[in-house]
Amino acid sequence: MMNSSSIKRFALLVIPAILIPLVFTFDVIRSAVEFDNASSTILREIFVIGSFTLIGLYIEKRRSSMQHNAPREIGRVFFAVLISLFILAVSTVIQPHQVSGGNSFRIHQSALVLLASTLVTLVLGVLTLYLLFVIHDLVLFKRRKTTWRYYIIYLLLLFAACAADFPSLLPEENILASIFFSLAMLFIVVNSFKQNWIMYLSRREKKYSIIYSILLFIGLVLMDIYLVSGSASNNALIAYSRPLHTFIRLNAFFGTIYFGVTFISTLFHLPTAEVFERKQSELISLHNLSRLVTQVFDFNDLLNTVTQMTSEVCGARSVWLELFSMDENSGEMTVEVAAKRNISQEDIDLLAADDGTQLQRYLMDSHKALLIEDLWSDRRTKHLKKSGFARGSLLTVPLLSHGKLIGVLHATKDFQNAFDQDDIDVMTTFADHVSIAIENSRLISKSIERERLHQEMMVAQRMQKRLLPQSLPDLPEAEFAAVSESSLEVGGDYYDLIALPDDRIGIVVGDVSGKGVSAAFYMAEVKGIVMTLSKICKTPHQLLSRANDTLMETLEKNMFISAIYGVLDVRNATLTMARAGHCPVIYISRQSAELIRSTGIGLGLTGRDQFEKATEERTIHLQPGDICIFYTDGITESRNADMEEYGYDRLVEIAKTCTGCTVHEMKEKILQSVRTFIGLGTYNDDVTLIVLKWNGTR
Amino acid sequence: MIDFKIHQRDSEDVSVIELKGYLDAHTAPDLETAFQKLITENKFNIVVNCRDLSYISSAGLGVFMAYVEDIRKNKGDIKLTNMTPKVYNVFDLLGFPILYEIYKDEQEAVVRFHEPKK
Repeated sequence: MMNSSSIKRFALLVIPAILIPLVFTFDVIRSAVEFDNASSTILREIFVIGSFTLIGLYIEKRRSSMQHNAPREIGRVFFAVLISLFILAVSTVIQPHQVSGGNSFRIHQSALVLLASTLVTLVLGVLTLYLLFVIHDLVLFKRRKTTWRYYIIYLLLLFAACAADFPSLLPEENILASIFFSLAMLFIVVNSFKQNWIMYLSRREKKYSIIYSILLFIGLVLMDIYLVSGSASNNALIAYSRPLHTFIRLNAFFGTIYFGVTFISTLFHLPTAEVFERKQSELISLHNLSRLVTQVFDFNDLLNTVTQMTSEVCGARSVWLELFSMDENSGEMTVEVAAKRNISQEDIDLLAADDGTQLQRYLMDSHKALLIEDLWSDRRTKHLKKSGFARGSLLTVPLLSHGKLIGVLHATKDFQNAFDQDDIDVMTTFADHVSIAIENSRLISKSIERERLHQEMMVAQRMQKRLLPQSLPDLPEAEFAAVSESSLEVGGDYYDLIALPDDRIGIVVGDVSGKGVSAAFYMAEVKGIVMTLSKICKTPHQLLSRANDTLMETLEKNMFISAIYGVLDVRNATLTMARAGHCPVIYISRQSAELIRSTGIGLGLTGRDQFEKATEERTIHLQPGDICIFYTDGITESRNADMEEYGYDRLVEIAKTCTGCTVHEMKEKILQSVRTFIGLGTYNDDVTLIVLKWNGTR
Repeated sequence: MIDFKIHQRDSEDVSVIELKGYLDAHTAPDLETAFQKLITENKFNIVVNCRDLSYISSAGLGVFMAYVEDIRKNKGDIKLTNMTPKVYNVFDLLGFPILYEIYKDEQEAVVRFHEPKK
């Protein structure tokens, strides 16, 4: 199957394949019957030029789909020229007769001679088209505005010169044609200096380029000689089509001059090829490095690549990379050889032995590259001579991160004074890349760790939320509202509402000293203790005392827990409470608002005797509409920007304004009031609040 | 940030620590260091003057609990003095007056150290 573009390409060849034989037939007839008129000559010329234009388009289409390599392309052109020269030689042999110039075909010509001139024209036409395209690519390599302009001017002059030779347009050998021709020659010279592409060739390619360009130059010179000669074959070519002959001639000159210049410039560029190649390999290495630096997971790969690149780019004998790590506790520094190339651990140890420590000290102090021109005579490394370390020079560059020395990159060369400034620059750049990669990988592992901890904390938070009551008692006699918020992910506040036998409800609020994870663990323990004891202990005093016993054993010395435990007896409408160092309950009745400040001491502070003596129980006889507020010091000790505390008075005041509200409204009002007081920001401490409203027994 | 300062002075065999500012979880380690230093220097008679202490949190209270046992074992004590009503309220709420001797005046506390032990 052929797609549309290949059909188009095919048509580009088919039309010339029809037209050229047609022109040939016309030529044969014309020479046989000596028929000649202006319009037929013009038509014939249009056919010829049209055919070559299509062939040119065909070549251009083919070429754009190929990879270009300049020296190889020049080689190909050379072989094409060689073949053409051969054909020219043959045609010169078979056309021994002098054919007069001009477009006069008044001499009888044999069909064979006509065929030969058609073929020669075809070959040279195709060759010069091809040549023009090759030169086109080379001239416009790394084009600049002027490059493009000069090239276009040449093309315009080329076509103008051809057009001036068009039959019947102007008299033969007219002055205009000569002017265009000369100007075109001038721009050939100008364009021939566009040889930028040579610089980017490798040394090997440059050698090829020299050989092929000189061969091509010689071939084209021969062709030029043919084209300006008065040989029968050349005259037949002129007779076939003057514009085409001009085209062939100009392009052949262009090729000759261009590749002559190529030969000379390549010759001059040859000595700089090495430097250029080195710069190029530096660039490529740096590009690869930058890519690797971002792939921190291939950290070892990066280190190996760096040592490999250092050895290739600098031409080093051996390269190794040491990383330093500082023990944070002892302050001792350990050195690890992270990557090495063409050197044994023994040799590395040799270098570090004895006076080698001076090297490290130098790097530590200076943070600059260290160059030892001769390992055997430098006073810092002369011990190597005795130990049999190969002679040569050493270059060591520091790896720096935030102004700290985190490692060094070493390279040795076989000879003394072998490193130059370029080596120092390149190795410093490599070392910088390694430092960045190390820094990156440290940051990434840090952030991964942080993310993991965050996830753990989120789990802990969910778990802790499950420790708080999922639902509140639903009674006609009393309403409850409760909330607990941690200032951090987890907190040390605890509250619970426990259904007890005989229509009683246990109410507990606790606050572990401190915040965060340690407090959260004790909070869970308190929950366990309270759940167990609430089933056993008859009174709040007894429960807190037993809880104190257990917590005395488990709490750290500097930790304690404040708690309040109350039992709401629904049948008798009483609330009996004991306070273990916790914030006093606010009791609001119709008559008054008061803090129930019974004596007591925090859990985990003292032994049973002292605890029991200090803790007293208080019982309130509830009237319908009475409100009790349990809370933690996160509310009363909330501070605003002026470090002022929220305090008890504000809490009591806000509660008093709200005796007609539901418990939920009251809870929200209190929280809102605290948040407004704090202003911007979150709670300073964990905040817990229980509001109890007594509706009366039924 | 309102900071926290500790000033220590020794009068005869009693060391007086003056606290100033906010004693909370952030500043508690400073007080811990001060106590630790006194213990290593075998100075167990300690008076903590709270005249300029504006605030104390549960973490701050924890510091006293952490060291008092050691100090008492060595026949010493931590006595607290010159508390503002607000700071006293925090101590009182937790029942600290049961555990510590709290005096209005620093001199009173110092004198107590010189009285024969009961």
